[in-house]
Amino acid sequence: MTPSARPQSLRSPEPSRRVLLTTGSSDAHTWNLVHLQLFLEEHGHSVLNLGPCVPEQLLVDTARMTSPDLVVLSSVNGHGHQDGLRAARALRADHRTRSVPMVIGGLLGISPEGAADRTAELLDAGYDEVYEDGTPPTALLRRLAGLGGACTGRAAA
Amino acid sequence: MYRAGRGLTTSTPPPSPPPLAPGDLGAFVQESADAGELVVQPRMGMVGPEEMARGVAAVAALPERTVATLTIDSYTRVGDHAAATAAVRAGRPLNGFPLVSHGPRTGARVAAAAGRGTPVQVRHGSADPMAIFRTMAAAGLAASEGGPVSYCLPYGRTPLAESVAAWRDSVQFLTEESRAHGRRAHLESFGGCLLGQLCPPSLLVAVSVLECLFFVANGATSVSLSYAQQTHPAQDTGALTALRRLADEFLPPAVDRHIVLYTYMGVYPRTVPGARLLLRRSAELAVRGGAQRLIVKTETEAHRIPTVQENLTALRIAAEAARAARGTPGARPSGADAEETFAEARTLVTAVLTLSDDLGVALLKAFDRGLLDVPFCLHPDNRGAVRSTVAPDGRLQWTDLGGLPLLTTSRRTIPMTSRQLSGMLDRVAREHDRAAAARPAPDPAPRASPPPSAAPLRVAFAGMGPRGLSVLERLAARCAEEPPARPLEVFAVDPYEAGAGRIWRTDQSPWFLMNTPAQEVTMFSGPADDGPHRPGAGPTLGEWWAEEDPAGAEPEGYAPRAVYGRYLTYVMARIEETLPPWLTVHRVPARVICADRAREGDGPDAGAHRLRLDRGDVLTVDRLVLATGHPLTELDAEQRAWQRFAKEHSTPARPVKYVAGGSASEMPLAEIPAGASVGILGMGLTFYDILTELTLGRGGTFTEGEEGLLYLPSGKEPRILAGSRGGVPLLTRGANQKGPEHRYRARLFTPERMAALRAGGAPLDFERTVLPWLLAEVNLVLLATRIRHAHGPEAAEEFTERGVALLDGRSDPRPRLLERLAAGHRIDARPLTGLDALARPFAGRRFGSSAEYHKVLTEWLRADLAEARRGNADGPLKAAADVLRDVRQTIRTVVDFGGLTPDSHRWFLAEFGPVAAMVSTGPPQLRSEQFLALLAAGVLEPVGPGARFQADPVEGRFAVESAQVENSWVALDVVVDARVPGTDLAADRDPLIRGLMVDGEIRTFTNAAEGAGEFATGGLDCTDSPFHPVRADGSVDTSTHVIGIPSEHTRWFTQVGSGRPGPWGSFTRDADAIAAALLGGGAA
Repeated sequence: MTPSARPQSLRSPEPSRRVLLTTGSSDAHTWNLVHLQLFLEEHGHSVLNLGPCVPEQLLVDTARMTSPDLVVLSSVNGHGHQDGLRAARALRADHRTRSVPMVIGGLLGISPEGAADRTAELLDAGYDEVYEDGTPPTALLRRLAGLGGACTGRAAA
Repeated sequence: MYRAGRGLTTSTPPPSPPPLAPGDLGAFVQESADAGELVVQPRMGMVGPEEMARGVAAVAALPERTVATLTIDSYTRVGDHAAATAAVRAGRPLNGFPLVSHGPRTGARVAAAAGRGTPVQVRHGSADPMAIFRTMAAAGLAASEGGPVSYCLPYGRTPLAESVAAWRDSVQFLTEESRAHGRRAHLESFGGCLLGQLCPPSLLVAVSVLECLFFVANGATSVSLSYAQQTHPAQDTGALTALRRLADEFLPPAVDRHIVLYTYMGVYPRTVPGARLLLRRSAELAVRGGAQRLIVKTETEAHRIPTVQENLTALRIAAEAARAARGTPGARPSGADAEETFAEARTLVTAVLTLSDDLGVALLKAFDRGLLDVPFCLHPDNRGAVRSTVAPDGRLQWTDLGGLPLLTTSRRTIPMTSRQLSGMLDRVAREHDRAAAARPAPDPAPRASPPPSAAPLRVAFAGMGPRGLSVLERLAARCAEEPPARPLEVFAVDPYEAGAGRIWRTDQSPWFLMNTPAQEVTMFSGPADDGPHRPGAGPTLGEWWAEEDPAGAEPEGYAPRAVYGRYLTYVMARIEETLPPWLTVHRVPARVICADRAREGDGPDAGAHRLRLDRGDVLTVDRLVLATGHPLTELDAEQRAWQRFAKEHSTPARPVKYVAGGSASEMPLAEIPAGASVGILGMGLTFYDILTELTLGRGGTFTEGEEGLLYLPSGKEPRILAGSRGGVPLLTRGANQKGPEHRYRARLFTPERMAALRAGGAPLDFERTVLPWLLAEVNLVLLATRIRHAHGPEAAEEFTERGVALLDGRSDPRPRLLERLAAGHRIDARPLTGLDALARPFAGRRFGSSAEYHKVLTEWLRADLAEARRGNADGPLKAAADVLRDVRQTIRTVVDFGGLTPDSHRWFLAEFGPVAAMVSTGPPQLRSEQFLALLAAGVLEPVGPGARFQADPVEGRFAVESAQVENSWVALDVVVDARVPGTDLAADRDPLIRGLMVDGEIRTFTNAAEGAGEFATGGLDCTDSPFHPVRADGSVDTSTHVIGIPSEHTRWFTQVGSGRPGPWGSFTRDADAIAAALLGGGAA
C-alpha cells in the first residue's frame, strides 16, 4: 500500500537511467536537446543536458565525473558526422570513459548521400547505435531498457 | 560613453556624412523602400569560393531588389578555423563559406561577384566575431548580422561576458576600419530570432532594440532591427509596429535604421506548397508590418541545405508576394497586439537601460537578474526561469514570467510535456502543409475512368455518431481508391451534429472524460501521412488534440468527451472536404420517425426505403444503415413507480426527484440543490461522470495533500450516497505502458482454440467450457509478470512456454496446474480462482458500521491504485486484467450470433459482463484518487455492498440501505440512476425502431436451443458480416445494415465508440465490411 496518491504520472517503472545528453561541438541547435530531455525525463530517466556546441573536452570531463549510463549525441546542423567522430574518439581515448555506451542520431550530414558510409564510420568509431534522421525517440527508451547491469541510481542532473 | 534614455548620442557623430560607397546596405534598403520595393535576401553559404561566387552572382542578377549573403560555416563560427581549414583541404562538405580559412583576398573576389550595386552581407552566428570582422574589413565587406546576446545565448556556451566584450571590440573595430576606408559598417541585430521559436514577441523586440543601441554605442551609424515571423499574423504585425516605434523612440535620429523580417525560423513545412505558402505569408507580413527587408527560406528548408536555384526561386516568390500584398489592402493590424508587445518590450528595454550607463554591463546584469530571460535557452548565463506557450488561438504568450519585470495576473505555470513541445514546435509547419494541401490546386493525379453516369445509389445513415461515421469513412476511403460501379449519394441523418451525434456532443460539460487514452483512439482507418488528412489517412485523437490545443492536450491521458466530439466533427468535415467526384454527402439534421418501402407501382423506386423525417419530408433511399447508437428506452415497472413516487411526494420546500439513466450530460444535475441527499444507483462510469459534475462541476477543487489528493469543497455540493451490487467502484485502470498500437497475442485463449470449441460443440456453456481458458490466460500473464519481476524476462518467458505446453493438450486448464508450475519460482504463486475475487471483494463480508466499511473500502481502493501505478504491463494484477480487454474480440467470436446456450448466454450477460467490466473497463487513476479524496472529505458516502434503493412511503422520500453494513439506512431526496440502460428493442422509444419492429422488418434476437429453453435477449437480430437485420419471418433484409449498440446481445460489447490505431480491430473491420457491401464488392 502506498501512503500517498500522486496524480497520474507518465513515469515508467523501467529502471531509471542517467543520460548525458550532448551535441556536436559546432552544433548550435537547442530544440532537439530540449525535446529529448523532456521526453527522457517523462519516461523516468535522469538527464544531464550539456546544451549546444559541446567541446569534446567538456564531454569527456563530464562523462568522467558523472559516469552516465548512456551518452546521447543529437545533432541537426549537418556536421554531426564529423563532430560525432571527434566526440567518439575523445571519449574512447580516455580509459575512464572508454566503455560508456554511446549513441548518435539526427541529421548527420548536409545531404542524404553517403548516409550508409557515415553510419559505418560512426559505428566503427565506437557508437553503439546510429539513428537515422526521423527515428522516433522511443528508440532511445528501448536502448535504455536494454542496458545491462544494475541501475546506477539517480543523481547528476 | 553611453547614456541611457532618450536623445542619446554616439561618441563620434559624423558631423557631415561622407558620400556612401556603392553597395552600402543601409542606403540600398532605403532607396528600395522609397521605391516601394521590399528587399529580399537569401541565406546562402558554400564551402568553395567558385561555387559561392556563382551563388552571389546569381542572386545579384535577379531582377528583384536583392542583397547577397555569405553565410559562414559552423566551424568558423565557433572559432575552430583549424577544423574548417582541414575540411577545405580534405574537400569535405561544410554547411557554409569558411571566410577566415579562405582569407580576405578570396573573400573579396567572391563578394565582387555581386557587382557594384548589390550589397553583400556576412551572416555567421559567432559569439566572438573578431576574426571574421578582420577578414571582412580586409576584404572590403562592411555588413554583418549578429549581436552580443543573439549570437551568444542561442549558439552555445561562450560566456555572455566574453561575448559582450568581444562584440564591443569587434563592432568598434569594424566601424572604425570601415570608416577609414570610406565605407559605412552596417550591423543587423539577430535579436528578433534568438532560439527561433516559442519566444513571445516582446522579448524579441526588446533584444533587437537593445542590441542596436549597443551597436550604436560602439560606433555603428547604420543598423537594422530584426524580427522573425512567429505563429500568429496579427501578433506578428503588432510586433513589427512595436519594433518600429521603439526604434524611433530610442535610436538617435541620425542613425540609419530599417526593419528586417526573417521568414519563419522554426520547424519548416515539409511539402513544397506548404513551404511556399509560409514564405508568401512572410512577405505579406513584411509589407503589412512595414519591414523593408526580408530574409527568405526555401522550400527544401525542412530537408537540407538549399541549392542556389532553390534560393533564387524563394527570392522571386517572396518579391512577387510582396508586390501583390502592396496592391491589396490586408487585414488591419490588431492595435491590441501592437500595444501589448510595445508596452512589454518598452518595459524590458527601459528596465535594462537603467542598470548601467554601459549597455554591455547592463545586458550582463539583466541576464544575471533574469530581467531578460530567453525561454528554453540552455545557455549557462541564461536564467531559464521563464516559460512560454502557443495559446490555442496561435499567439505566443508567457506562461511563467520568471524574473521578467512584466506584470500579469492571469498566466500560470503549466508544465509542458515533450509531446506538447513538439506539437508547438511543429504547429506552423503542419498548418501550412495542410492549408496548402487543402487549397484548390490543379488536379495532379489523373483519376481513374470516371464512373458511368448511372443513377446514384442512395444510402441513408440513421444516426451519424461514431459508428455511422466509421462506415462513411471507409466508404469514402474505398471510393477514393477505386471508382465505384455507380456513383453514391449519402444522407447523414442525425438531429445532432454530424460526426459527434448525441453522446459525443461538443457542448457537454468539460468534466466528462473518455475512458480510453486519447492516443489509443482514432476514427481514421489509417495513420496520417504527408498528405492532407482524409479518409484512410488521418491523425489519432491524441495527435489531433495535441495539434489543436498544444497547451491543454494530454494525448497520453483521457480526453474530455466534448473534445472527442470536436474530433469526430473534424473527421466528418475532412470526409466532406476530400470527397471523390462520385461520392456526395448530404447532412440531414433530422430524426427518422418511420420507414416503409415504396410499392411495386412506384416506378423505379419500387422497393426503396422511404424514410419520413420529423421535419416533414420523406427521404427515398436504396440502402439504409442503422447506426442509432445508445437507446432511449422506456422505464421499467420499478423505474416508473419511482418516477410516480417522486412526483407525488415532491414539495417545493423539499423536492423529491428520480433521475432516470442515460448519458450524464443529459441529466438535470444542475437542479439538485446543495446539501440535498443524492443516492447514485450504480458505481460504473456514469457514476464517475455524475460525481465529477456534482463536485468539480460545482466549483470544488482537488489539491495535492500529504497523503494524496485533498478535496476542497465549494459548499455547493449535495451529500452523495453511492450504492451498487458489489459496493466498490470499478477497478482502476493500470498506468498505460503499452504503445497505442500494442496488441496482446493470447497463448491459451487463442482465436483458434475458441473457433475449434465453437465448431466442435456450439452452443457452448461459457462458464464451463470457455471461462476456464480465459482464466488460464489471465493467470498465465499474472504469474509470468510476477516471475519477470523476481527473475527477469527470460525466466518469465520460460514459465509462459512451459505453462502453455502444460495446458495445451488438456480439456480442463485448471488454475492449480499453473500454481504448481509457478511454485518453484519463489514468488506468490497463487493464481486467481475466478474474476469474482477481483470484482466482488466484499462478497459475504459484514461491516459493523458505515465508518468501518469506508475504512476497508479506502484501504482496498488504495491497494488497487498501487497496483494500477505498477502499470498494465509490469503490474501483475493490471497486466492480468488487461488480458480481458485484449481478448475481447476472441470472446465475441465465441459468444456472438448464438454461440452460447440460452442459459449460458443469460449468465454471460448478467454475471460475466458486469464482472469483466468491473475488472477491465475501469477509470484512470485520477478518478480513483478523486474518489478517495471525496470519501475522505465526507462529500461521498458509499453505502455498501448489496445496496438496495427503495421508495419509502413513511418518509415520503427515497432511501438506500446496504444489506452488509449495519445501520446504513439513509433517506434520499434524489435518486440518480447511473446504470446504463440495456439494449431492449421492445422497450426502445425510438419511433424508427418501434415502427420497424411493428412492421416485422426487424426482430429481437432470441437465443433458443432444442430442449434448452429460450433467452429473449432484446437485441436486434442480424446476420454476421455485413450485418443485415433478420425480419420477423426469418428472412434477411439485404438492403439494410445494422451496426453498433442496436445489435447488442446478438453481438457482445458493441458500446465501443472509436477505432484503435494500428492494425484494424473489429470496430473498423465491421465498418469496412458494410462499406464494401454498399459498394457491391466483398468485404476486405
